[in-house]
Amino acid sequence: MVKRGFERLYLALIFVFLYLPITVLIVLSFNDSKTKVSWGGFTLKWYLRCFHNETIMNAFWTTLQLTIASALIATIIGTLAAIGISSMKRRNKAIFLGATNIPLLNADIVTGLSMMLLFVKFINLGFVTVLIAHITFNIPYVILNVLPKLKTANKYTYEAALDLGASKPFAFYKVTWPEIKSGVFSGFIMAVTMSLDDFSITYFTKGAGMNTISTMLYTELRKGIKPELYALSTILFLTVFILLLAMNIRNEKRSSHGKKPVKNFIACLLVVFCSVTLLGGCAPKKNSTSSKTLTVLNAGKYIDESVITDFEKKTKIKIKYEEYSSPEEMYTKYKSGSIKYDLINTSDYMIEKLIKEGEVQKLDFSNIPHINNIDEEILKLSHSFDPKNEYTVPYFYGTVGILYNKKMVSKEEVSSWKVLWDPKYKNEIIQQNSVRDAFIPALVLNHSSLNTTKKSELKKALKLLKKQYPLTYAYMVDETSDEMISENAAMAVVYSGEAATAMDSNENLSYSLPKEGSNAWVDSWFVPKTCQHKKEAEKFIDYLCTDKVAKKNFDYVWYSSPCKSVQKNLTDDFKKNPALTFNKKTLDKCELFHALSDEDQAYYNKLWQELKSRL
Amino acid sequence: MKKKLINFKHISKSYGDNLILDDFNLYVRENEFITLLGPSGCGKTTTLRMLGGFETPDTGRILFDGEDITNKPANERKLNTVFQKYSLFPNMTIAENIAFGLKIKKKSQSYINDKIKYALKLVNLDGYENRSVDSLSGGQQQRIAIARAIVNEPEVLLLDEPLGALDLKLRQNMQYELMRLKEELGITFLYVTHDQEEALTMSDTVVVMNQGYIQQIGTPEDIYNEPENAFVADFIGHSNIMDGIMIEDRLVEILGVKVPCVDEGFGTNKPVDVVIRPEDVELNTDMKGFMEGVITSIIFKGVHYEYDVMANGYEWLVHSTQYFEVGTKVGINVIPFNIQIMHKPESSDEKAVEIDE
Amino acid sequence: MNNLKKQLLAGPYLIWIIGFIILPMITVVLYAFTGDDGHFTLEYMKEVTLHAHMAAIGLSLQLGILTTIICLIIAYPLAMILKSFNFKHQTFVVFIFMLPMWMNFLLRIMAWKMLLAKNGIFNTFLASIGLEPLHIINTPAAVVIGMVYDYLPFMLLPIYNSMVRIKKDYIEAAQDLGAKSITVFFKIILPLTMSGIVSGIVMVFVPALTSFAVSDILGGGKILLIGNVIEQDFMQGNQWSIGSALSVVLMIFVLISMILSQIFDKDEGSVATW
Repeated sequence: MVKRGFERLYLALIFVFLYLPITVLIVLSFNDSKTKVSWGGFTLKWYLRCFHNETIMNAFWTTLQLTIASALIATIIGTLAAIGISSMKRRNKAIFLGATNIPLLNADIVTGLSMMLLFVKFINLGFVTVLIAHITFNIPYVILNVLPKLKTANKYTYEAALDLGASKPFAFYKVTWPEIKSGVFSGFIMAVTMSLDDFSITYFTKGAGMNTISTMLYTELRKGIKPELYALSTILFLTVFILLLAMNIRNEKRSSHGKKPVKNFIACLLVVFCSVTLLGGCAPKKNSTSSKTLTVLNAGKYIDESVITDFEKKTKIKIKYEEYSSPEEMYTKYKSGSIKYDLINTSDYMIEKLIKEGEVQKLDFSNIPHINNIDEEILKLSHSFDPKNEYTVPYFYGTVGILYNKKMVSKEEVSSWKVLWDPKYKNEIIQQNSVRDAFIPALVLNHSSLNTTKKSELKKALKLLKKQYPLTYAYMVDETSDEMISENAAMAVVYSGEAATAMDSNENLSYSLPKEGSNAWVDSWFVPKTCQHKKEAEKFIDYLCTDKVAKKNFDYVWYSSPCKSVQKNLTDDFKKNPALTFNKKTLDKCELFHALSDEDQAYYNKLWQELKSRL
Repeated sequence: MKKKLINFKHISKSYGDNLILDDFNLYVRENEFITLLGPSGCGKTTTLRMLGGFETPDTGRILFDGEDITNKPANERKLNTVFQKYSLFPNMTIAENIAFGLKIKKKSQSYINDKIKYALKLVNLDGYENRSVDSLSGGQQQRIAIARAIVNEPEVLLLDEPLGALDLKLRQNMQYELMRLKEELGITFLYVTHDQEEALTMSDTVVVMNQGYIQQIGTPEDIYNEPENAFVADFIGHSNIMDGIMIEDRLVEILGVKVPCVDEGFGTNKPVDVVIRPEDVELNTDMKGFMEGVITSIIFKGVHYEYDVMANGYEWLVHSTQYFEVGTKVGINVIPFNIQIMHKPESSDEKAVEIDE
Repeated sequence: MNNLKKQLLAGPYLIWIIGFIILPMITVVLYAFTGDDGHFTLEYMKEVTLHAHMAAIGLSLQLGILTTIICLIIAYPLAMILKSFNFKHQTFVVFIFMLPMWMNFLLRIMAWKMLLAKNGIFNTFLASIGLEPLHIINTPAAVVIGMVYDYLPFMLLPIYNSMVRIKKDYIEAAQDLGAKSITVFFKIILPLTMSGIVSGIVMVFVPALTSFAVSDILGGGKILLIGNVIEQDFMQGNQWSIGSALSVVLMIFVLISMILSQIFDKDEGSVATW
């Protein structure tokens, strides 16, 4: 009896372990609060909103189409293959089964990137490549579900049917099919599950230009997940839960009652599900074939999305909007050539590098009359990477400093970078998770240039950073503000704009630009060589410089805007905001990044990996 | 008389609403070959499993050599079981299988080796030590299972339909082997089967069971020749079972014909069941006997022919070595000694009389 | 003749295997061993032996093995308990453990981040009962928790399947021959579930060794696993050749696991049973 009690307790614990995170997510989907951790009352608004969010719905339909299509195709190929394999001799059978095991046992990351490496040689990454990848890893699940059924199926009944005059397809349908049906079905279900849950393989084979729920989440993770996604996931989860429950109940009842009704009901549901998917997928595509399409690449969470839809409405130019999480990722995406971008926004040093590589086109400023709305100070700042202001138009600018919690750290302490090495703040410091940004405090304190390539200076900086490593809570990029808002850390190295956003959500937060100086940055738009619609791209740049649009973007992005019209209309409150307006003197001490040569960049990366691997 | 080694006392067992055994009482004597015989679901396997220690009775006690073992775990009981099938450990060789129990008892390696050799010889499988379980036929596996059990020198060997999965020829061979083993080992065998032939061939005592009750206990001869009720008669081979009326002692009316018999003490004009074995019916073309009939079908069975004979509205089953063509008119005769008279089950017999009269 | 025609049904799959399994893997190997000039080079393989890379491989192995062991320790007794409950339909068990997979993998990990964060749900709970908060997030422990959570079903289901396949007769036969529960376990149950254990180990160890998303989310950028290095090489660093070289190393590890599983797992496709 005691043993039984212990067993029940163990089961209960495992159950909690399995379902606690899921409960958390479901609860959050009803949470009427902006920040993740606090409960702000019950609401259904995220459920309503998720159906109106075009990005989410697009990703959702893509995911469904991908899942159903890949599972269906894999089921057909897999079932045929299983029949073929089952009639093979031992040796061939072993070879086929061995090959079947490869995608099943191979590391997802290797499966994904190996296919990516092959695909980029022949076609652009996109829906088709992801579909092929999904079919590839789905087939084994189907085969391994069907094979055992074929093994137990009586092969003589098939021959008996032929003997009795049935045609082969008829014999298959009447005799073999009923015996393997359940295997095919469970193979299909498993394929759907795997396809829906996959992230790694999709991530590598998708290229830019499409998102499934998974890959969208991965980008979202860095900037805080939209509650709409919790709602969508909850709907999906509960749908499957009910569907599977119904199937299980059917199994329970099969022994006693007639089975047909429930079975048919589920079959109907499945058919409806599939057809809705395929129809739903077709609908939005139809209007996308009209007029010209601009492919725009921008950093994550860096535009008010209504600006895009407004522009599309106004100009009938369609925009394919893509995001990246770091300038380095942008560079890789661009260089991989899988997508021809028309317009890119990125950081100063990266633009400098691309200009040097001849990847940037000069702008025709007659198409950008609103350039006169841009602050001359910022244009001057841009000379660092675009000496004649011929290639770029500034979008936002700012500095790198310390975002801190006034309850935990004093203003005096954060006036110097040294605070980041104070052991008092162990596990309270969030560092930047990109190489060069993370090096800023160390280089500044060592009185080195931020653009130094001297190995001795870099090694010295690394030494300092290694000392800092045990004090850090985390290395993050876009997630930092969420962590600071939730007060999970006392201070963080951040971009000023990010600080402004965070301060808006938690009044205990403030920003300091340390007296020793720092990095200043300008993010600008440029037209890459791959551009196919230069005029339209310039039109979009100009649109972004207009008063109203700039203001709209400023209100959304909450970074320092280079637009004079925006600066002029700032209230006093904003003018005093240390994260939006900077002291001219300290700004003078700040240095912009320059592009590094590949070799130097590789050296930086090497040091970075060394830091992370705690050597 | 040998002593009572095992004693089941007032055992009841049910699974949910399903009553398997109801106030079951049985004793097994030392060195006896006793067989529990009955259709599936009669409770015979449950009885064996309770003795083996795999089930506990709801009520009642099981005594072993005077000791109450009702709640003793299986691994501490001085008896071993030969299971239906699947019982050889597939992850071990034959030798390891046989050595399993001995190793647990911490016997020396040389003792174990001797025992393995001895046991394999006993079951006629010398030299199979290092074979894997998969490489053996069903009959061989079953013999190894027996070897594995007997090396432990149990006082009682329990056998749960050990020959059920084998084909006819093998089954017959194994029956002889089991009987030989019993002679050599001199221990008690408790055997469970639904095959009446097996039971009758091997046993000293047969216990016929149905629906949780013992129907009859006796020697194979008793059971075969003197079934106590229609169930036993029917279960023990194919018989002609007819309604009859005991007119007086030594005279019974079957199918409207008065026939002499040897039974006494049933009273007068009492409805009874009459059992006549197919091999006891004599057919002749001289129309001798108490009844006449027509051959309606014939099947050649090797040692004899099996006939259906229609007579007085009843289809007789007859085994005969003589040949008759279908449609032949024959006389039917049974000597009085071979006519078995049995009591009708209590409740239904009055009704039978009413209909008859 | 008829048989040959039947075998042809596997044709499309054969083409698929060659085109999308074999060729891509060859491409990776080519990238790893071909220099900018198109000639064979060992330069990138040498990069693998760099301290930072070796450290990442070492940490991955460490966390991968730890995750696998913890999964095994949790899953084995669980499988025994589940078996002892004797569910009428085994699909029910599969159902319970598959169901969480229908909540997106990244979201599930994200939920753990919220649970484990410094001011997260666990620590708030601990504080409310007057206990010291735990610092788990952004440590290897958090990554292991996340991986155990994610991969536990991969361990449980093969073991459970091999467990329910053990006939009751074996256990009773062993008891009958005098074996106590502990002997029954070590002599009968454990050997007969070995194939399940091995396929469970492979199914957990390989993804745990190569994961990058879990360490990314729960490691707070402080945990650099081999998967993270490869991901960075491909998606940020534009160092495809080094990334490929590291992938080749991973492929070797996977190959070793596959061979091991083939040795132990005699009945084909017990992997499929889940």
